[in-house]
Amino acid sequence: MATETAVKTSWADDVEDELFPSKPQETVDENGVRTIVEYYKNDDGKTVTKKIKRVLQKVVVNHTVAERKQWAKFGAEKGNKAGPDRATTTIGEAVSLKLSAGNKTNEQAEDTPEQQLKLSMQKSKIVCRICQGDHFTAKCPYKDSLGGLTGADTPAEVDVPSAGEAAAPTSIGGKYVPPSMRAGAGRGAGESMFRGGGNRDDLPTLRVTNVSEDTSDNDLRDLFSRFGRVARVYIGRDRDTGVGKGYAFVSFEDKAVAERAMQKVHGMGYDNLILNCQWSQPREARAP
Amino acid sequence: MRPILLQGHERSLTQIKYNREGDLLFSCSKDVLINVWFSTNGERLGTYDGHNGTVWTIDVDFESRFLISGSADNTMKLWNVQTGKCLFTWEFPTAVKRVAFSENGDQVVCVTEQRMGHQGAIRIFDIDRSSDGTNQSTEAVNVFHPIGSKATVVTFAHKPSLILTGHESGKIALFSAETGEEVETNQKAHMETITDLQLSPDRSYFITSSKDKTARLHETATLRVLKTYATETPLNSAAIAPLRPYVLLGGGQEAMNVTTTSARQGKFETRFWHKIFEEEVGRVRGHFGPINTLAVHPSGKSYASGGEDGFVRVHHFDDSYFKTRPYGEFEPDP
Repeated sequence: MATETAVKTSWADDVEDELFPSKPQETVDENGVRTIVEYYKNDDGKTVTKKIKRVLQKVVVNHTVAERKQWAKFGAEKGNKAGPDRATTTIGEAVSLKLSAGNKTNEQAEDTPEQQLKLSMQKSKIVCRICQGDHFTAKCPYKDSLGGLTGADTPAEVDVPSAGEAAAPTSIGGKYVPPSMRAGAGRGAGESMFRGGGNRDDLPTLRVTNVSEDTSDNDLRDLFSRFGRVARVYIGRDRDTGVGKGYAFVSFEDKAVAERAMQKVHGMGYDNLILNCQWSQPREARAP
Repeated sequence: MRPILLQGHERSLTQIKYNREGDLLFSCSKDVLINVWFSTNGERLGTYDGHNGTVWTIDVDFESRFLISGSADNTMKLWNVQTGKCLFTWEFPTAVKRVAFSENGDQVVCVTEQRMGHQGAIRIFDIDRSSDGTNQSTEAVNVFHPIGSKATVVTFAHKPSLILTGHESGKIALFSAETGEEVETNQKAHMETITDLQLSPDRSYFITSSKDKTARLHETATLRVLKTYATETPLNSAAIAPLRPYVLLGGGQEAMNVTTTSARQGKFETRFWHKIFEEEVGRVRGHFGPINTLAVHPSGKSYASGGEDGFVRVHHFDDSYFKTRPYGEFEPDP
């Protein structure tokens, strides 16, 4: 008993291959554009469609130009027939010339690193921990009002204010803060050795925010000096450009003076912005 | 727009020139060949064979009857444009760097190199246009040696009696064709060598390009600087576009620096600057090497660029080129 194995054939093979016309077809548009369509098989056995559009252009020219068109070819072209020779004349890729005022932005506009960063940021979902908006926690506009999420001291309780460098509260409730970095961790010892008596950590310091970019040291000094002696003013600035980041720390010599200044300055208008003023957070860890 | 690529040269292009009607485009190259093309479709009409060295320069007369060429084989040749036959050869002690016809084709001026004891010279020859042009005098009508920096480019100025020159030091001068005296000069026109000099259609002003990365527009009669276009690359060529208020600048890094920069192909660009406002308004890329020479069709509807890569690219402008007003209401009325 011989078993016959069925030979599998594909139905596609049975279908007629030559479904397309093998003769070139010519059509003429209403605009006089002749389209020639040709189908043929190339070396790999694949079908290739070739469409050629020919547009007849009529140009009125100077009679000398017309005469020159009839000249016989010479030199290396001697004996060649009329029309461009594909060996010497080819059509290049399309290039565009976009004319616009201003300058070199005609090449691919190179985004500045900031713009590129911003773009990539917009894609990833950034959520602020304070208000859940789509900005960084550090950039939260509600930092001051809703910012009391730090597990450690709230501003009001701090008796040892320190001039912290970072504007953002670094330990938000839930994150582990090593003992050496907690508030009042006794690191003052190192500081006082460096500075001798009365270093900046001891001074009553206010954190002023929503400060305009072009407010200077002296401006703030003048503003706060009407309450009493200002020991120190620090304005947070962008490292590279020097532009103000919008916050400042003002240290007074006397705490009562600082208290009074805070009451008065908080909510005060300065250079078209309403200032926020509060006790500065206890000094958090510096970057290790 | 789709540029037409003309591949008639195996080495870098040195100069391209349209004839007066613009239907013919002449190109010459370091590969000793001179080609002539129909500019509308890029079809090559013929070649002028005979030089043995780099052909530095060519010019065609107003009738498109004679072609003059200067070469590194120390000769200048006169050709019949239609047949390609060399009609006459002048020989010199040094290479010919630049040639130019006068407006009526009666004279040619050429610059010969300064080398090995021979001073650089500017020579003016009469051209006998009667009969077939083979009867030319070997003697120059006038030869003068400009003192100081050698001349790199030369052309007839707004009057046939005046020659306009650009020098290696960046100086521009007007010489009298008869006496060889300097009539007018601008020593500080450019800080470095002048690479190209092209007149406006009416010859009343001209543009120069220089290795000092700028191109300048000057008034022909007084040599007063009218406009300055400052780029960041040394420029090899500059041209004034008729019809629209633009100038074309081309240059690029020296060939030896090319491999040290980005590998993007076809990144060498012809820059379009607004002639009046002195600002860059556009660029066209495509060349694989620095652009050595630019020429604009006399009608202002197309232009061609020749590069270090041996290609000539002929571009016919799109409608958008003619319609765009980059400066809005400040544009001069057409």
